[in-house]
Amino acid sequence: MTDVLVARDLVKEFPLNERRVTALRGVSLTVAEGDYCAIVGPSGSGKSTLLTLLGGLDLPTSGSVELMGTATAGLADRALTRLRLERIGFVFQRFHLLPVLTARENVELPMAELGLGRQERRARADELLDYVGLAGRTTHRVTQLSGGEMQRVAIARALANEPALILADEPTGELDATTGGEILALFRRLHADGTTLVVVTHDDRLAAEAGRVVRMQDGRIVTE
Amino acid sequence: MHRLLLALLLFPVTLLAQEPIGVALERRLAEQLRLDVGDSLTVAREVDGVGRTARVEAIYEPRADPATIMRQDYRIRLHLPDAAELLGTPDRVDRIGLAVMPGVDPRVAAEQLERTAFGYDLIPTAEVAAESSTTFLVVSRFHRAIAIISILASAIFLLCLMLLKIEARKLDVAMLRFTGISRRTVAAALILEATVIASVGSVVGAVLAAGASAVVNWHYRRLFDTTLLFSLLSVETVLWAVGLSLLLGIATGAIAAWRLVRQSPLALWGRAG
Amino acid sequence: MTWSWAWRDLFRHRGRTLLALLGVGVSAALLLDMMMLSGGIERSFERLLLSRGYQLRVSPSGTLPFDTEATVGDVTALVSGLRADPEVEDAGAILGLAVQAKSAAGTAVSLVGYGVQPEAQGIYVLESGRDITPGDSNGVVLGLPAATQLGASVGDTLRFFGRLDPQTAAPGAERSLVVRGVVRFLYDARDQPSVALTLDVARWLAGPAFRDRASVLMVRVAEGPAPATVAARLQREWPAVGISSVDDLVVQFRLRLTYFRQLSLILGAIALVVTVLLVGTLLTITVHERLPEIATLRALGVARRTILLQVLAQGAVLTVGGGMLGLVLGLITARWLDTILTAFPGLPASVSFFVAAPRPLALAALTLALTGLLAGLWPAWQAARAPIAHTLRQEAT
Repeated sequence: MTDVLVARDLVKEFPLNERRVTALRGVSLTVAEGDYCAIVGPSGSGKSTLLTLLGGLDLPTSGSVELMGTATAGLADRALTRLRLERIGFVFQRFHLLPVLTARENVELPMAELGLGRQERRARADELLDYVGLAGRTTHRVTQLSGGEMQRVAIARALANEPALILADEPTGELDATTGGEILALFRRLHADGTTLVVVTHDDRLAAEAGRVVRMQDGRIVTE
Repeated sequence: MHRLLLALLLFPVTLLAQEPIGVALERRLAEQLRLDVGDSLTVAREVDGVGRTARVEAIYEPRADPATIMRQDYRIRLHLPDAAELLGTPDRVDRIGLAVMPGVDPRVAAEQLERTAFGYDLIPTAEVAAESSTTFLVVSRFHRAIAIISILASAIFLLCLMLLKIEARKLDVAMLRFTGISRRTVAAALILEATVIASVGSVVGAVLAAGASAVVNWHYRRLFDTTLLFSLLSVETVLWAVGLSLLLGIATGAIAAWRLVRQSPLALWGRAG
Repeated sequence: MTWSWAWRDLFRHRGRTLLALLGVGVSAALLLDMMMLSGGIERSFERLLLSRGYQLRVSPSGTLPFDTEATVGDVTALVSGLRADPEVEDAGAILGLAVQAKSAAGTAVSLVGYGVQPEAQGIYVLESGRDITPGDSNGVVLGLPAATQLGASVGDTLRFFGRLDPQTAAPGAERSLVVRGVVRFLYDARDQPSVALTLDVARWLAGPAFRDRASVLMVRVAEGPAPATVAARLQREWPAVGISSVDDLVVQFRLRLTYFRQLSLILGAIALVVTVLLVGTLLTITVHERLPEIATLRALGVARRTILLQVLAQGAVLTVGGGMLGLVLGLITARWLDTILTAFPGLPASVSFFVAAPRPLALAALTLALTGLLAGLWPAWQAARAPIAHTLRQEAT
């Protein structure tokens, strides 16, 4: 099994007023291809901070992250951005879809940035929306979708460029139990289809579905 | 009086061998010709005409005349008989100035005199001033037109900014409405805010205007070498401008506030169904 | 796709964007008007001066044509000398004088008279009837305002008076002249009642002091040499008079209009500042509102450069859209402002302050486009530099 993600001794400090707050205190994590890893822990344990470092959205104070063998430290912003575009799919708690675009257009977005042609990305977007069960909602504006539907669109968007890894931050955090259950099922399907998943969650059901559970507290991994 | 063409000694004028006449030069002319009191020069009606030697008896500062400021004319004063002789028009003048006795109405005096003085036109000075100030009326109208355009642009600009500023507060407004604060109270708070901004802005604007006015006067006085005032910031002007800007600021704030409070709190929060 | 987002995002709040477009439009209109004003009247004046093909003017030394009552002497020799010059195609003298005439109703009408050499005159164009001819000692042409005031038409005989004594109302000279035609005087102010007679008749009416004198001479330069060069050479040959090319006259004219040039510069600059503030503020607030979306785009892998270009493009849309509106508004307001300014007393009726030439229009468009770009730079930079994780975290809380 190839290691998709290798994080070593990650430390992250933030300035807060005149002090420095340490969110991560030397976290190391390895995610292999096909893993379904859940990161759990109380609020303030550093879960989301760890996710942003793993996804190259922020840089660690010290430590290193390697994605598909490429070290993210020292990469110029352009290269790091390209890495995210090609290799990582993000799913956020609040979906973060663009309200002025339709469901299909939101899914097309990463493909357009990659340079895919209009017809090709349209066909793929329709395919992905069908995969997540939204075949009949492709031309709907985001504001016309329910919370669960919006999260499905977000998942379809995350899959757009066939990423090596999906990083999800509290994907069911804004959803009711039933809708959350639908997203759980989708993640299960993604994993079954071979997608590597790292999910930060408070949702016990989601944690139970994962093959690995990494428990964090006070910026450290306490159990794995 | 016909305008004299001042001929310099460089030109071939025919000099009349007579006692030099006394002349007074305006300061700018004296500076231009580098002449001082006691210096001599030649004056003639035409460049190629008969000239008289003149001696500078005085250098004076003419009263600033806005009608001639752009023309940069030079002025010279002569005794009336000398001017008449030079022009070849003895005992003739262009106009005579009359000062009426205190308490006498100039218009009434003009009418009476016209009945007895055949061939003359008697015009009160105020009427002459009014007729000759057409240029300034034109400039005044032009300035007013520019002011209208500027006010229009400012009003649109203000409305746009107020809308942006107040709409940026919609979440705050949603929270206030959720907690039971009435539309009226919220609107009043927003309008009060707009009033404060408009008031401070008006005062700042008035200060800026005073500064700009001083700069304009300094610049054009230097440029045209004059003591004329080009920009006058009167109390009336300030009050008018401050009043208008206050009105515009509060009105645009009120419009923006009304747009915000008429929406439901859920809509403001972005969760409306 | 991200360009679709940028375009639709701009019109997400239609009212706000339309207001901004209107604001930019009004500023653009003011900018355009000031560009037109800054050189408009000079261009108009230059066109007028060259309208009949006379590139040089000869006037009393130190004065501009018809600026004073001074006159040039030895005109016959001067005209002959100029006409004999190989670089001069033609030259004609003009004498300005005050004349009076009796109207059909018997009232005395004061007129502006021009004594001309009809074979080489450049101050009027014939509208109806025929022109006066060289040596025509009985003919006169009237401007329309004069014809109206006199109640006269082509073929009528009128009594003209010169050297009128205002005290006794007695003329020093009088003569009956036949109206040969009606003309349009190119340099006259609106409604100015003017007449043109032959130079000899004009001198006769003006009196012995004006024998062989003229107010101004108009000179047409032959094809080939530059008029300014010819003017300089002729000035050396005739130092007792002032010889100006049209360029010289325009420079003098420009000096007298310094106020308007500077005013147009100041107002134009203010318009630009307002545009920068308006577009910059709108984009800054829009970017600030959209930071979570921008952070999302960056998280998905959209490059900084793309974000930067999109915000700049939004600024460009506002300025270009507003600019097009401003073009229409500007041309309308220019007409209005021109109507106000051309009411200056004594200004030739054919001169305009606001001239819609390609150069000022292009300059206004370019200046506005650059201004829009400048206004968008800071918000675009802010958008591109938004910290992704921090923004997303703030959005989640």
